[in-house]
Amino acid sequence: MAISPDEAGAMLADIDAVVAKVKQSRIYRRTGEITILWGAIIACGQLVSMAAPRWSLWDWRIADGLGVAATVILMARGRSSQGLRLPLRFLAAFALVFLFGFLWSAVIGRFGPRELDAFWPTLFLFGYAFAGLWFGAALTALGLASSALIVAGYFWSGGWFDLWLAVVNGGGFILCGLWMRRA
Amino acid sequence: MDGLDETIHQPVRLRLMAALTALPPSAEGLDFARLKSLTGATDGNLGAHIDHLARAGYVEVAKAFVGRRPRTTVKASKTGRAAFSRHVAFLKSIIAGV
Repeated sequence: MAISPDEAGAMLADIDAVVAKVKQSRIYRRTGEITILWGAIIACGQLVSMAAPRWSLWDWRIADGLGVAATVILMARGRSSQGLRLPLRFLAAFALVFLFGFLWSAVIGRFGPRELDAFWPTLFLFGYAFAGLWFGAALTALGLASSALIVAGYFWSGGWFDLWLAVVNGGGFILCGLWMRRA
Repeated sequence: MDGLDETIHQPVRLRLMAALTALPPSAEGLDFARLKSLTGATDGNLGAHIDHLARAGYVEVAKAFVGRRPRTTVKASKTGRAAFSRHVAFLKSIIAGV
């Protein structure tokens, strides 16, 4: 059977398209699990903050600690079962964003509790939006839409801001994670 | 340079092999539903092509039950990976005019 260069080029393009879809799907699947995890943690953390404001600081320390530990476990599981290795740059980017947030929220900025509640999620959601420019439009959409809703809640949700964050931020992460797992 | 691999050359099987070899050898493979969406094939058509590749020794098929649902997972074999690499090299050689 004779194959022309045009036919061979079309087949190679077909192969590249399938490979790109598989790679994106694997990243979506693993990121989706981590997104669902953090959505649940955020929703629980916000609800505890609302129910027991005095325990808010410890609530978030425990929630963040559990979240980081579970994220490391999920990433390790992905590495062993799927050969999927998230690059060190991913962790470095996360650390840099956290450092930037800490610098402005705890050292330079003079934020009140409500501002802090809005600042940290929008900071990381913008990180998601940024990462989405490389890894998939769903991340960008999640980051921008959730940030817009958080800003709206900051101005207009009154005393229900914690509940607003639990639904918008936590729920948004969970829905996006479920969608990513199916993509 | 090896010639055309008739087993892989068929479009659905070419997409199947491209998808399966995009995973590292240590990965679990891809399930039937995912392969269906990647290749755009119907259930019967996809099953026939997977059987064809399995008979050639290019893929390994594992069937299991997740709850009450049957789950078919397909993985590229070492032979299949080598054959796919040769086929891709062959296609590239055509473009290069070798």
